[in-house]
Amino acid sequence: MIISVASGKGGTGKTTVAVALAKSISYCQFIDYDVEAPNADLFLKPDIKHINNITIKQPYFLTGLGKSFKACSDFCHYNAVAAIDNKVIFFSELCHGCGGCILVGPEGSVRERDIKIGEIRKGFCPPGINFLMGDLQPGSMRTTAIQNELEKNIDHDNHVIIDCPPGNSCSMVMAVRSSDFCILVTEPTPFGLNDLIISIDVLKNLKIPFGVIVNRFGIGNDEVFKYCRSNNIKILLKIPNDIEIAKYYSQGLSLIDFDSLWKNKFVCIIDEIEKEVSVK
Amino acid sequence: MKQVTIISGKGGTGKTTLASSFIKLAAKQIAVDCDVDAANLYILLNPSRKKTEKFIGGAKAEVTGTCIKCGKCEELCRFEAISDSQDNIKIDKLKCESCGVCEYVCPTNAIKLKPEEQGEFYVSDTEICPFVHARLDPGAENSGLLVTRVRNIAEDLAYANNKDLIIIDGAPGIGCSVIASLNGVDYTIIVTEPTLSGISDFKKIFEVTKFFNIKSFVCINKFDINLKNTGDIEKFCSENNVEVLGKIPYDEKVPENLSYKKIIIDDQSSKAGGEIIKIWDKLKSYLYS
Amino acid sequence: MKVCISSTGTTLDSNVDPRFGRCAFFIIYNTDSDTFEYYENESRNTMGGAGIQAAQKALENKVDAVISGSIGPNAFKVFQSSQIKIYTGVSGSIRSAIAQLKNNELTQTAAPNVQSHYGMGR
Repeated sequence: MIISVASGKGGTGKTTVAVALAKSISYCQFIDYDVEAPNADLFLKPDIKHINNITIKQPYFLTGLGKSFKACSDFCHYNAVAAIDNKVIFFSELCHGCGGCILVGPEGSVRERDIKIGEIRKGFCPPGINFLMGDLQPGSMRTTAIQNELEKNIDHDNHVIIDCPPGNSCSMVMAVRSSDFCILVTEPTPFGLNDLIISIDVLKNLKIPFGVIVNRFGIGNDEVFKYCRSNNIKILLKIPNDIEIAKYYSQGLSLIDFDSLWKNKFVCIIDEIEKEVSVK
Repeated sequence: MKQVTIISGKGGTGKTTLASSFIKLAAKQIAVDCDVDAANLYILLNPSRKKTEKFIGGAKAEVTGTCIKCGKCEELCRFEAISDSQDNIKIDKLKCESCGVCEYVCPTNAIKLKPEEQGEFYVSDTEICPFVHARLDPGAENSGLLVTRVRNIAEDLAYANNKDLIIIDGAPGIGCSVIASLNGVDYTIIVTEPTLSGISDFKKIFEVTKFFNIKSFVCINKFDINLKNTGDIEKFCSENNVEVLGKIPYDEKVPENLSYKKIIIDDQSSKAGGEIIKIWDKLKSYLYS
Repeated sequence: MKVCISSTGTTLDSNVDPRFGRCAFFIIYNTDSDTFEYYENESRNTMGGAGIQAAQKALENKVDAVISGSIGPNAFKVFQSSQIKIYTGVSGSIRSAIAQLKNNELTQTAAPNVQSHYGMGR
């Protein structure tokens, strides 16, 4: 069973919940899909065993032979190639590495080299968490390319916990789309509710069942609860607003470290989700 | 004309709280929300829409003609977006990068890049200033493109109305939409918090601002929840020649005001609001110099 | 001499657009015949490389000079690959910009005067 933990609004507690789930069940695969700002490793403290560089191929142009590269410039959808007379100016940061310029350019005159866009790291946290994360290189925009590598490594025979990136766009969809169930974490404020409603739309479009965890319960107002009640959305858990929890979090300590009683609550949530998923 | 973007790397550190306060304090600018897939600034600015336009997003590959199952597109697609091209071709739109290689190699012109409607953008009036914002369809792609569109409109408005400042609320992360929201601006304000995750993400977004050669300032929100980490952030900033504009205390008044959809600086009893006003005074000296 | 000017509109009374890559229109003015044509800047809404595209198109039009409020580093790089004259920091109407050019009142720019809207890279 694959459970994703998502939230439209950032900083509502996705990683807090995902880490607590993994620590509660102890044996699972954990994947941090928030490749732009990965943080779960700070809490799970995995022993990283493998680091794989993720690269794309980018062109370089053999301009000495007087050939025109105008076709490359015309083809490139990313404006990464400017061809003036027989000169080429290449803008690496715009290139997605599609290889189009090789297809359309003068034969043999466009070559390629590897450019790093990020890393995939694999590790282990005792007693039984197989840890996997992606890390996008600053300056690169190829978020989904790193996520694509993670997707290939999902262990479908095990429990999998996926920590998603914030937002409701493509990178969030990449992270939730393999999951059997999604836990949406929110906070009881107008911002939290606004972004929760959009996330629910995404999950309904993808036909992924979901439930809600309300973090920082006690702040804000009761609009999130009213919304969930009137739309028949299950609230799986409330985590109180407690500055002590925030202090633990700030040091890289999990909810379970704060109080081991949380462990049971998360085990119950997993059981509940498993029942719901197996019925479907 | 100056442009400033508020970013953070990590979500939920207080970007919109700061952006809304600066907008209220500056008063004579164009306000922009570039967090298009989880837009929140409108909740505090209470806009009335003057103009709505459809956003036609990046073109994705689609089979529109007769596929002869030759397999060429699958073989040449670098993004692994095409599968089963020799049987029943499937295109994974999330992986498609709109490069056009499949369209180019298809012997029967069966594949086309087709732009899709992916959201809307708005030009609005608020009690404070003009406001440009957008709504990306749930789950849609290319928010970087929408961010670029929104910023172009904001610049047009600023030039047409002789505004000397654009304040941009950015998105979390360091990817496509964030890069689109900060490139070409004069300054970025990085809002961070003294948590290990806040620090880690701060360092990544700081790398991005360096990559694009943009001057940054830092604000440390909820600085008092971990003074050691706050010290570490300050040390990092001084080592990297980044000015910390201010340290905002943990303050329950922030979510309280938020639940009434009020901008924090309007609550004179809020310590956080008071600090944000001081931060603005420092920032002002750069913006209007 | 042919000159490319970033413009907010389609006439000589339009203003010089402060942005090169993301301006609304380009006016191509011929100072020998005192005629001009204009075209819309199709690349202004692309996410990256608007300036690169715009500069390339200007060069394809065989211009000898370019006038704008500001030109970013990417477009600048493209212009520098050919020997054309670059004038930045120009404002006011297109008409007055042309007059200043003819009277040799504009100073050539040697380096980009704004940050890239996309990707300076390392």
